[in-house]
Amino acid sequence: MSFDLNRVIRGRVWKFGDSVDTDSINPFYLYHTMEELKKHTLESFRPEFPKEVQPGDIIVAGRNFGCGSHRPGLVLREVGIAAIVVESASRLFLRNTIALPMPIFVARGISDIVQDAEILEIDYPSNIARNVGTGASVAIPRFPPMIEQIYEYGGLPQLARQRYLAEKAVR
Amino acid sequence: MGQTIAEKIFSRHNLAQQPVRAGEFIGARIDGAMCHYQFMDIHDLAVEAGFKDGFPRVWNTDRVFLLVDHHQPALSQSYADDNVLIRKEAGRLGIKHFHDAEPGIAHQMMPDYGLVRPGELVVGNDSHTIAYGAINAGSTGITRADMLYVLLFGELWFQVPKSIRVVLEGRQPGYPIAKDIILYLAGQYGDDFAQNMALEFTGSLVPQLSMDSRMCLSTHGVEVAAKLAVFPFDEKTRDYVAARTDKPYEPVAADPDAAYEKEIVVNVDEMPFVVAKPHQFGNVGPVDEVKGIEIDQAQIGSCSNGRFEDIEIAARMLKGRKVAKGVRFIISPSSQQVYLQCLKAGLIETLVESGVHVVTPGCGVCQPKVGFLADGEVCITATTRNFKGRKGSLNAEIYLGGPLTVTAAAVAGKIVDPKEVFDEL
Repeated sequence: MSFDLNRVIRGRVWKFGDSVDTDSINPFYLYHTMEELKKHTLESFRPEFPKEVQPGDIIVAGRNFGCGSHRPGLVLREVGIAAIVVESASRLFLRNTIALPMPIFVARGISDIVQDAEILEIDYPSNIARNVGTGASVAIPRFPPMIEQIYEYGGLPQLARQRYLAEKAVR
Repeated sequence: MGQTIAEKIFSRHNLAQQPVRAGEFIGARIDGAMCHYQFMDIHDLAVEAGFKDGFPRVWNTDRVFLLVDHHQPALSQSYADDNVLIRKEAGRLGIKHFHDAEPGIAHQMMPDYGLVRPGELVVGNDSHTIAYGAINAGSTGITRADMLYVLLFGELWFQVPKSIRVVLEGRQPGYPIAKDIILYLAGQYGDDFAQNMALEFTGSLVPQLSMDSRMCLSTHGVEVAAKLAVFPFDEKTRDYVAARTDKPYEPVAADPDAAYEKEIVVNVDEMPFVVAKPHQFGNVGPVDEVKGIEIDQAQIGSCSNGRFEDIEIAARMLKGRKVAKGVRFIISPSSQQVYLQCLKAGLIETLVESGVHVVTPGCGVCQPKVGFLADGEVCITATTRNFKGRKGSLNAEIYLGGPLTVTAAAVAGKIVDPKEVFDEL
């Protein structure tokens, strides 16, 4: 599934604090299948999350989201999370989420402008995230061209495949 | 303006062959790629991306290191099945460095087998790949998708990190303190103070630190969110590497006028024994703050603390003593080589006589395969992480401490200042 950076995303917010770890997002050594993981993702922070999350919801979190192991947050995409907006992300989680690709934005101050269950609108082309109810907003920095390209190709594996085919054609 | 170690490493590996500065996004040439038991997950990503039969090639069969590590011996039939597939793929792709039928942790085996050298840029699909900074290499964890790209092309995108200069001052006591140092840093500055940055260790303590201690500190760079965690090259590094490989390498040093994001000074002479309390690495306090908390389990092992000096201090303190009644003390050496070193030194006998469970080398005590915790149980461990639920129950509590603090707790049956248990210190 590719993600179009130019599409505006609007969804209900699930708020989390600082240093949410990948053991909690993806406790794969306790639960071995995607169906089981979907029933347990993030329960160590919010037990109701796996039961109540709806497709199209957005995660808003504090510092260091996705800290810990290099495991990807694929399960979040599988439960329907439309975007992740954080004060800061662990670099491995950021790389993973870009590579999937899944929309993830580092937006300083996001925790201050939106509360749990409120509606957030993310407009990447305009570089803004806005609380639909209150109108409060924060800036979303642009990705460097190298990263925008990964989104355009539908993820890093797809970009690798296209590069491989292009180089093979030349030879 | 001079360059930091990180800037030098990325300049050396920049595909555009230009010197780089912190903050730049670059494509970098990779010297080595470490893959472990999750290799088939990367294979599956390749299939999903359209490579129907899996990887058409790896870019360099001499620079890919495949170590089954976490899952050897296989813990279930599904792991055994996966290991069969990994074996087939390693053969098909002609990967020269395949460590299959051997338990142990990749991050111990990579430097121990001379597969990584000073000055190189090495990546691995495991967050603790940052460990090789201990031998003056630029090494870091990458994701499975990143690894797919690396395996095909031997290149990867990076943002050149800013650097933090960590100045370690003071005297090395007669026991390892690396774990206390990194926990102390996480407690003082937060568990993400080095987010996306490089740590450069320096100061009067550094020449006194053993390679084992340096590896503990570099491995834990990721627990404070760092991209690299690099030690300077010195005589100890040179001797360590010379004993393991005769391939040439070029060490890397910072320029005197390099620009740092910040400088942090720690005097270890004034540092108390510390622990991380449940459930985050940065939730740190002095041991005294939690002393008296009764424990059910104690552990030493993992890529952070399964090395010779970690096990040696436990055995030295346990000689003539017993693990407290009812406490399970589990120790796992980080590799077969470390295990053998401990055996030859007589440590294993002492441990078993004292009541320690010595278990097979590997990741199992940390990313749990053995020693799960029940509701309400308390564990103190010299391993990498204490996230809620990491060892089973969401209602268990995990404390992190150095090997000495863990051993003291195992003897006392409760968390305690090691100096109260061990008069000889």
